[in-house]
Amino acid sequence: MATYEKDFLLRLYGGMVRVRRFEEKAADCFTKGMLAGNIHLCIGQEASVVGSNAALRPTDYITSTHRGHGHLLAKGADSKKMMAELFGKSTGYCHGKGGSMHAADVSLGILGANGIVGAGIPIATGSGMASKIKGTDEVTLCFFGDSASNQGTFHESINMAAAWKLPVVYLCENNHYGVSTEIHRVTNTENLSVRAKAYDIPGVTVDGCDVLAVYEAVKTAVERARAGEGPSLVENVVYRWQGHYCGDPAVYRPKEYLEEAHAHDPIANFRKKLLADGTATEAELDAIDQQMADEIEAAYEFADSSPYPDPSEAFTDVYSEDNERCVAR
Amino acid sequence: MATEIKMPQLGLTMEEGTVERWLKAEGDAVKAGEPLLEITTDKLTNEVEAETDGVLLKIVAPEGTDVPVQGLLGYIGQPGEQVGEPAPAAPAAPAAAPAAAAAPAAPAAETVPARDRKIRISPLARKIARQMGVDYTAVAGTGPSGRIIKRDILAAAEAAPKAAPAAQKAAATAAAPTGTAFPVKNLELMEGDTVEKLTGMRKVVAQRMYTSAVEIPTVTQTVKIDVTALLAFRKQLKEAGHPFSVNDLVLKAVAKALRQHPEMLVSLDGEQIIRRAHVNLGMAVALDTGLIVPVIRDADLLSLEALSATAKDLAERARTNQLGADEYKGSTFTVSNLGMFGVESFTPIINQPDAAILGVNCTEDELVMEDDGTIAKHQVMRISLTFDHRLLDGAVAAKFEMAVRELLEHPMDILL
Amino acid sequence: MSTLSISKAIREGLHEEMVRDENVVVLGEDMAVMGNVFAITQGFLDEFGPNRVIDTPISESGFTGMAVGMAMRGLRPVVEWMYDDFITVCLDPVMNQAAKMRYMTGGQVKIPIVFRAPIGAGRRNAGQHSQCLEALFTHIPGLKVVCPSTGADAKGLLKSAIRCDDPVVFLEHKLLYAKKEQIPDGEYLIPLGKADVKRPGKDLTILTWSRQVYFSLEAAETLAAQGIDAEVVDLRTLVPLDWEAIRASVQKTGNVMVVEEGVRRGGVGAELAAEIQEELFDDLDAPVARVAGANIVPPFSPPLEDVMFPHPADIVAAAHKLLAK
Repeated sequence: MATYEKDFLLRLYGGMVRVRRFEEKAADCFTKGMLAGNIHLCIGQEASVVGSNAALRPTDYITSTHRGHGHLLAKGADSKKMMAELFGKSTGYCHGKGGSMHAADVSLGILGANGIVGAGIPIATGSGMASKIKGTDEVTLCFFGDSASNQGTFHESINMAAAWKLPVVYLCENNHYGVSTEIHRVTNTENLSVRAKAYDIPGVTVDGCDVLAVYEAVKTAVERARAGEGPSLVENVVYRWQGHYCGDPAVYRPKEYLEEAHAHDPIANFRKKLLADGTATEAELDAIDQQMADEIEAAYEFADSSPYPDPSEAFTDVYSEDNERCVAR
Repeated sequence: MATEIKMPQLGLTMEEGTVERWLKAEGDAVKAGEPLLEITTDKLTNEVEAETDGVLLKIVAPEGTDVPVQGLLGYIGQPGEQVGEPAPAAPAAPAAAPAAAAAPAAPAAETVPARDRKIRISPLARKIARQMGVDYTAVAGTGPSGRIIKRDILAAAEAAPKAAPAAQKAAATAAAPTGTAFPVKNLELMEGDTVEKLTGMRKVVAQRMYTSAVEIPTVTQTVKIDVTALLAFRKQLKEAGHPFSVNDLVLKAVAKALRQHPEMLVSLDGEQIIRRAHVNLGMAVALDTGLIVPVIRDADLLSLEALSATAKDLAERARTNQLGADEYKGSTFTVSNLGMFGVESFTPIINQPDAAILGVNCTEDELVMEDDGTIAKHQVMRISLTFDHRLLDGAVAAKFEMAVRELLEHPMDILL
Repeated sequence: MSTLSISKAIREGLHEEMVRDENVVVLGEDMAVMGNVFAITQGFLDEFGPNRVIDTPISESGFTGMAVGMAMRGLRPVVEWMYDDFITVCLDPVMNQAAKMRYMTGGQVKIPIVFRAPIGAGRRNAGQHSQCLEALFTHIPGLKVVCPSTGADAKGLLKSAIRCDDPVVFLEHKLLYAKKEQIPDGEYLIPLGKADVKRPGKDLTILTWSRQVYFSLEAAETLAAQGIDAEVVDLRTLVPLDWEAIRASVQKTGNVMVVEEGVRRGGVGAELAAEIQEELFDDLDAPVARVAGANIVPPFSPPLEDVMFPHPADIVAAAHKLLAK
């Protein structure tokens, strides 16, 4: 810990608290019936989310998943626009057209969450290809879950990225469950990072609940990618505190899973460390907690008070050119 | 045995009538000759009378329905007598015997009236038929399953005028009232507004005016006539015991001018121009319910006296709804006089199939400088001639108007 | 004018756009070293280098999805699927990603991708290499669909498709590649959404595209000898659709036939027929006729395959039936 700047450590802490407050607020709103559709929460996975993004430059890119609120926030997304998008409001990132699973801010290098498991992997690979073709040094960080590693797109994409040494970091957040299916019931290997061997690229499994361990592993992979040495596979072992979706009672999981998960609470554990080694005081951390709570409350207020889009907006932006004619027939 | 009440035929061209009002209710006793209901047709309102004594058993055609000639309106019979479901009305010869009694259990004819028969016709053919005024109900289809298609309508339109121009014209005239639909606009109703069905005479006037206005490229030319001498002449005649109206004199002058200018008496039928042999003067008569144009046949052959009497009689009977159905057919030129209402000038709409209509306006005082330089009060009257520019040109129409003016400014010539 | 095969015309259009805009890159199977199985990209590798002419692995899902990421990063990828039948293994990146990305992000991104693919039967390629799947693509909002017939059209339309900021599925009939035609010299563009009356006529409108344009023109000559004057309207693009051209022709002739090689059930013809009867009912002198591929799997054996898709004689027979002649 001594090797890191205090500011950096507090930023990691604050980033994780911010994500958790956001997710808790979203869950609260969902439970109260204020949100339409479905949301997938990343509570318990904050270290993976924040530590990975901390290894990126602002000009780098990410692709995300259906469980993407944290990825986007950690890459710099505005919590107001994020929350408004969850509310389906016109002030949301996608003006209410995308919702939780399709939020994006391309100006921040966020190439979008994605509702199709594994679909972001080739998109990230294409982003890596773009950097290579353009001769620029942006790295693309590709988030996906354990289940996506069983999609063809995972293998096809990593194969190509490896063959062409594309600047992509494939980041598998292994929370052990694909909806209800425990990963080892459908996969033979103990870890998923072992699959890197098939493509002759580095593969590493990390405690995804330790924000600094995540940061270090992803930083190594990002530096390698930026140096033109090609992609890496980083597997963050994490815990999904909630069910698959908000409200899922997750009866398919043994109760030990949640006990283990809570024991691995990335925020509580990191807070203890910061206090133990004297990096920060209770008061400093409480102030950060309050700041994040205030930000998320403001985001909620913004989202709740924002107008819904006009129904006529449903017909715009299907196409960039000739939209009206293409929508008419 | 119940007796059917049927839609009567009130004139050769009548095809259907509208039930305006039932004067009796179901269960009412009726006597032969007693009015049962009022019907309206294109031009007329008439009563239908009971043919036998009995009870009005059933009303088949409620108020507001259009029923073809000889179509079933209701039944008269004995109290408690059962009547069957109405058999579809069969078109019958106009002179057919009064209502055949319908056997209660055995509905009579199965024949479906033409307007209800399912006709297989393509949408395009139907549209073209309407545009060209072709009655497609009589056209044989050559499309799949006997469907009438565009070429059948075009063939029918081409064949018709060659075969019988007059018949075609009659058919087109008859088709017009049912062939033109006005657009439904779903207008917003405001407080106090009422809605009634466009029926009877109003419907016919609406459709004929619409058709005429849409079809004909018109020009209206207004000419001022000094009628000082005419009015003096009229006064002389009146004092001599011959009270003619200005209208009588105008009609006579117009009839005479038309005989001098038969080029005005034309009708357009497709690619053909019909030159009319007779000066049959249509005379617009305003009624409370609309407008009717009875016809003074061969007006040019009538003396002023006879013309005046005929005009008066027709107008009178038009107002009391007693015109025969054929008394408002066959005009070759029409006069519409709004002078008595103080109208100074207007643009009448041509009464098809005529090629022109003359609007007669009010008489006004005007100061005129005489040849000797003195100022005198004169009476002037404008006539407004609307003509079909497809058939008549401005100079031709103007010559006709000058002839009318010449006659009216020298009234003795009207009689000579 | 130069006499070129249609595949050469396509090559010329693609080449011009690659010279014009360095963001245009081609990727697909056998595109670089081999220069494509139909020689569309022959010589491109030497001229534009491996970064812009990419031989992909046989990973349609992977490289098609990759094109979406490339487009989001400002490139203009031209992707080739070796056969349109292969869409089955990469439908997600087309249908759920490329087509929807602009809309789902609230208009934040443009997805300028051209998906090129050969279509069509007649080469005895059997069930998985012979389909015309344009109807499938027209069903997906967010995609544009282009189906050129002539080489001149193919070149001008491809250039417009590459410059278009939306994903365009560009379907080339494989039996037309070798056909030699007069191609205008120099640069020209044909806008998407503009039909072309390939033969004017007054009795019957034939709406068609791709190879069936040629069959329809052949049928129209036969019909002309029989006194039936058919108008052949090459739609060229199915999305956007040139409705004004369709309306004008239908209102002129009153009789419409849609001729397509794709399967009749759920075909583009079904959609056009529905649209025409809803919008132009009063202009129709007969029900809209369809001449289309049979509702069967593309067979291998020549006599079997020959009955699967429409031939000029089928169009002539359908015209007689439509016009009751």
